[in-house]
Amino acid sequence: MTTVTEEPTTTLKRGYVGQSIPRKEDKRLVQGLGTFFDDVRRHGMGYVHFVRSPYAHAKIVSIDVSKALELDGVYGTLTGDEVAIHTDPFFEMSVEPGGNIKDYALAVGRVRHMGEPVAAVCAATRELARDAADLIEVEYDSLPVLVDAAESLKDEVVLHDEAGSNVVWSGVFNWGDIDEALAEADHVVKIDRLHFHRFSSTPLECAGALVEYDKGTGEWTLTCNHQMPGVGAIWMAPALRTGIDKLRFVTHDIGGGFGNKICLHPQYVVLCLMARKLGRPVQWTEWRTDQHTANAHGNERTFLDVEVAVKADGTMTGFKVKALDDCGAFPRYEPLGCIIWAQVTPGLYGWRNIRVDFTQVCTNKSPVSPNRGYSRMQHLWLTERIIDIVATELGLDPVEVRKRNYVKAEQMPYQTPNGCFYDSGDYAAALDIALDLIDYGSIEQRRKEAASRGKLLGFGIGSTLDSGTNNFGQSTLLNPELQFSGNNEAASVKLDIFGEVVVTIGTVPQGQGHETTAAQVVADILGCSPEQVNVRRGHDTWFNSHAGFSGTYASQFAFTGLGAVKGAAELVREDMIQLAAAVLQAPVEAIELADGFARIKDGPEEAALPFMALGAIVNANNAFLPPDFNPTLNHRYVCRPYFGMVDTEKKTGQLTLTYATQIHAAVVEIDPETGDVEIVDYAAVDDCGIRINPQIVEGQVHGATAHAIGAALSEEFVYDEEGTLLTANFYDYHVPHAMDMPPLKTGAMESPSPVAPLGAKGMGEGGGGGIHCIGAAIQDALRAAGGAIVYTSCNPPHRVWSMLQDPEATRANVEVVSK
Amino acid sequence: MGVPARSRAISLEVNGEQVEMEVQARRLLVHFIRDDLGLTGTHVGCDTGNCGACTIHLDGEPVKSCMMLAPQADGSKIQTVEGLAAEGELTALQQAFNTHHALQCGYCTPGMLMSATALLERNPRPTEDEVRYALQGNICRCTGYVNIVEAVVAAGGGSA
Amino acid sequence: MLLREVDYARPATVEEAISLLATYDGARALAGGQTIVNVMKARVAAPDVLVDLADLDELRAIGFSSDGLLEIGAMVTYAQLQGSSEVEVARPILAEVASTIGDVQVRNRGTIGGNVCVSDPTNHLPPLLTTLGATFTIRGESGERTVSADEFFIGVYMTAVGEGELLTKIGVPPSSGAGDGFAGLTIGKHGTYVVNAAATISGDAVRIALGCVGATPVRATAMEERLAGSDFSEESIRSAADGLGASLDPPSDVHGSADFRRHLAEVSAIRAVSQAAERRKGA
Repeated sequence: MTTVTEEPTTTLKRGYVGQSIPRKEDKRLVQGLGTFFDDVRRHGMGYVHFVRSPYAHAKIVSIDVSKALELDGVYGTLTGDEVAIHTDPFFEMSVEPGGNIKDYALAVGRVRHMGEPVAAVCAATRELARDAADLIEVEYDSLPVLVDAAESLKDEVVLHDEAGSNVVWSGVFNWGDIDEALAEADHVVKIDRLHFHRFSSTPLECAGALVEYDKGTGEWTLTCNHQMPGVGAIWMAPALRTGIDKLRFVTHDIGGGFGNKICLHPQYVVLCLMARKLGRPVQWTEWRTDQHTANAHGNERTFLDVEVAVKADGTMTGFKVKALDDCGAFPRYEPLGCIIWAQVTPGLYGWRNIRVDFTQVCTNKSPVSPNRGYSRMQHLWLTERIIDIVATELGLDPVEVRKRNYVKAEQMPYQTPNGCFYDSGDYAAALDIALDLIDYGSIEQRRKEAASRGKLLGFGIGSTLDSGTNNFGQSTLLNPELQFSGNNEAASVKLDIFGEVVVTIGTVPQGQGHETTAAQVVADILGCSPEQVNVRRGHDTWFNSHAGFSGTYASQFAFTGLGAVKGAAELVREDMIQLAAAVLQAPVEAIELADGFARIKDGPEEAALPFMALGAIVNANNAFLPPDFNPTLNHRYVCRPYFGMVDTEKKTGQLTLTYATQIHAAVVEIDPETGDVEIVDYAAVDDCGIRINPQIVEGQVHGATAHAIGAALSEEFVYDEEGTLLTANFYDYHVPHAMDMPPLKTGAMESPSPVAPLGAKGMGEGGGGGIHCIGAAIQDALRAAGGAIVYTSCNPPHRVWSMLQDPEATRANVEVVSK
Repeated sequence: MGVPARSRAISLEVNGEQVEMEVQARRLLVHFIRDDLGLTGTHVGCDTGNCGACTIHLDGEPVKSCMMLAPQADGSKIQTVEGLAAEGELTALQQAFNTHHALQCGYCTPGMLMSATALLERNPRPTEDEVRYALQGNICRCTGYVNIVEAVVAAGGGSA
Repeated sequence: MLLREVDYARPATVEEAISLLATYDGARALAGGQTIVNVMKARVAAPDVLVDLADLDELRAIGFSSDGLLEIGAMVTYAQLQGSSEVEVARPILAEVASTIGDVQVRNRGTIGGNVCVSDPTNHLPPLLTTLGATFTIRGESGERTVSADEFFIGVYMTAVGEGELLTKIGVPPSSGAGDGFAGLTIGKHGTYVVNAAATISGDAVRIALGCVGATPVRATAMEERLAGSDFSEESIRSAADGLGASLDPPSDVHGSADFRRHLAEVSAIRAVSQAAERRKGA
């Protein structure tokens, strides 16, 4: 069910844009004719298997590969010693101490998390490679293990000797005056500890690549599923001591990414070295257990000593918190997560006084990687927990307290205390749609009815923002020496010899339907149908249609990705009009592009040139064109949004561009005897401005919701004291299956972005709305059974049961000091 | 006759064509299909038999090809996703997946289609609950199953 | 994901299968493979020889013995149990529980024999077959023997089936008015059990077995005794479960502490008995 309450208003010409046209990608994918990296074969290709550490922390005493090399069909091996000789450590973004960490493609001398690759072996078949890996003998000397961020902070055991501390980065963000706000507050609500757990989106296709080395040119070709190859190359090329143009990234279809395929550079460097060493193509396919154990977890974050300033009427004026982020064994993409959250500093609320003491540490757990809603989701979970804990403690209505504190529609565009601009939106109106969808008025009646069946019913809201398009300048708030700022994306559009419109995008889609939405945009601009527009699948560095940070991440396709497509299409359109005007001997104002023709408006039927004629003239039959007239019908455009510089002193600036709104509402029933939580009603309302393709937008909302539901109720990477991951596969790490998912109701609003080229805001990541609203609903349900406070983002039955057994244990976390 | 051996000459029908090949006993059926037959539409999404991306039809019934050894398929008839639209014409279900936006990355899709096709063969007009039950063994990480369920119900002529 | 080298044989008769199992060291029967292939993929267990039972049609039959016992061949799949008219008539709980094991694909391959021979403490069928009073027929080169559930389940992955032997069939008494129940908490719908309980009420007697709280199904004997001759009212069932949890020594893991499992054992037993009470004839 979809409810749209507001008619879209935009000055843009609407044709195919705004329509739910079925996706162009699907025809191949429903026939099993997609091409994923593991589908690609090369003659003489070898299969790579990694030998992985069974220890979370240990010295590597020795590695003996001799027995593996004796096995028939084994092509060769690679160890950390060779990696240390042939490569340099990866670039680190942090200042000291984290900036001193040495991160190599294979463990060098020491392993720091279970599953860390210590050696690689290449053989003629997949099975043989694993057989050979079993023959590689590694002697370890175990070291004390850190699995708790608070323990890491003590530095009694240090993971990285070069850094001398487990702290990767720490800093204070202080906007407004929280001390004054707390002093003037009528109530100060204090929360000792909240914990956002470790999980990841676990894309169904694991990581991997086929790597070929060209000895003559020194070039590597990576047929892979890296979702942000621009940044991958920035890491890899210096490590491999080669130029960035020696790394050709090729993607075709990618089986989901969600951020989890951004930090693949260590494994890819191993493949590059192996391909060069062996002089043959090598291929690596990650298995699920390896992915869970040692690839890409989402950031785990603990919030300590929260204090919230609340006025008598329920208005909150700000909060302070100590955030302790656990990035696992190596920072990799970190410490960017130490700042990305600041894109949504006050959440949806008009809070002006916020202080965050942020520290990130290493532990002996899997490294993290951006994960859908990266870093903002953790922070938004805090803001939503604050709202609901304050509401519970002060007896405020969760709907009213939100509406009282939300930034108002009439305040848009709204500048946050740290200088970000919320571009548009009406949060209260979106909340009303969500409440209607779940029939909020009947909640108390349903609560009674559930109670008569022995169930505890609860209702909760999650209000989030999906901030779209990263300003990489925010990295300078972490490390002023970094030479990054802004962002851009490229695309090319050409009209080819037989009239084909060909679009090449720099983005690296993993299911977001870019081939379709780009075609919709181009079709409207060139006056043809989307079927006539061929958007090339995937990414290829050799297309030269990418920019420095090309990729699909940070919900930025709608702005920079489509902005680039639009810009390139408009340049081609200009060429087409000029060419048609010249050929038809008419003024350019008289030419229109429509129905696959360039023609004279209201002119005779023969005064029309099909696209094929235009393409043929420029590409094959151009001798008659005058020397000073050179339409190319082939344009590359780079969309570079304006951000301005960030202020590294005040830690302010425009960290992102657009803000899509998500309001989620859930009704749950808890079985008090088992702690089992069932979602009995659920609504998700999304406002991402102009929807290029509403069906695709809704699909993203469904997917983000499913991820959040899984995270809220079952998905958790749990470690024991030895640093062993206890949920290393889909047996123990339970993701929602078809029967686990409740029916979802969706609603939509369109508050066009005043800053985006198409009025469309980046969307898709969501903000973890389901995690927030389910946690809130559980807390609401528990009011009737001891009033426990939900203190963690993951609440499987055993945890809910614990809260039912000992609600005071969680209540002791919270204190209200009133004037 | 059963003399244990490291490899076995197997003979089976794949998407209507007879295939004969010597395979290692340890070869998983999914790797036989993907690597030996080159039918790469059948995918691998896990290593524990949970995700169902490798679902094929074995003698008409959906099974996970990562939980079978290739020699176990000796003498059987198997159908993979490539066999659904053998003539190039999409089936009603494949068409419905497109119309209802039942796929995003497309990685789980072949397995979903095989499970759903088997359901529709047995129960041409399934309810939403029946569809969810039939797809319980197929994980999708993109769609939240909403549009998949809708597409299968629609392919059966119902409306979700 | 990738298995060690293994030898494979596909015998044509049960006798041949038994002979293979007896002849080769490290030989293991391969039924539906829905557990063993996974275990081999992880290289946790590595049998040297797999004896595939696929061609042994006599193990795929469901029928009745001359004395009315429901006989289920070891190679009968969960899907077969779901669709069997014999099961529906004689002991419908078997189909009901089978329909919640794994998923469609697993049910098409997974077998009753495999389920019990794996003897995974979280499996559905061991506690159920325990309360149903099932018997297990094991054949070896020296002949055939039949054992009870208590004798059959020995430990995790260990059963009364010895080397060179094969489980051929499972006998289940028809319900004859008895009521059967099954309850517990799973990880996700139809997922792995955290704790489960099966209960059968036959006349005045009740049998209760718990899964996931020990290496093998654990009989709730004290609760059974307290309920003997009871009216099976909710109150009496609940009070009979008192102390059940405390009597157990369940494992702790990521899905629940031992305490949580003790508690769930009581809840599951109460629910299973209540369901059985509702279903028995004359209830």
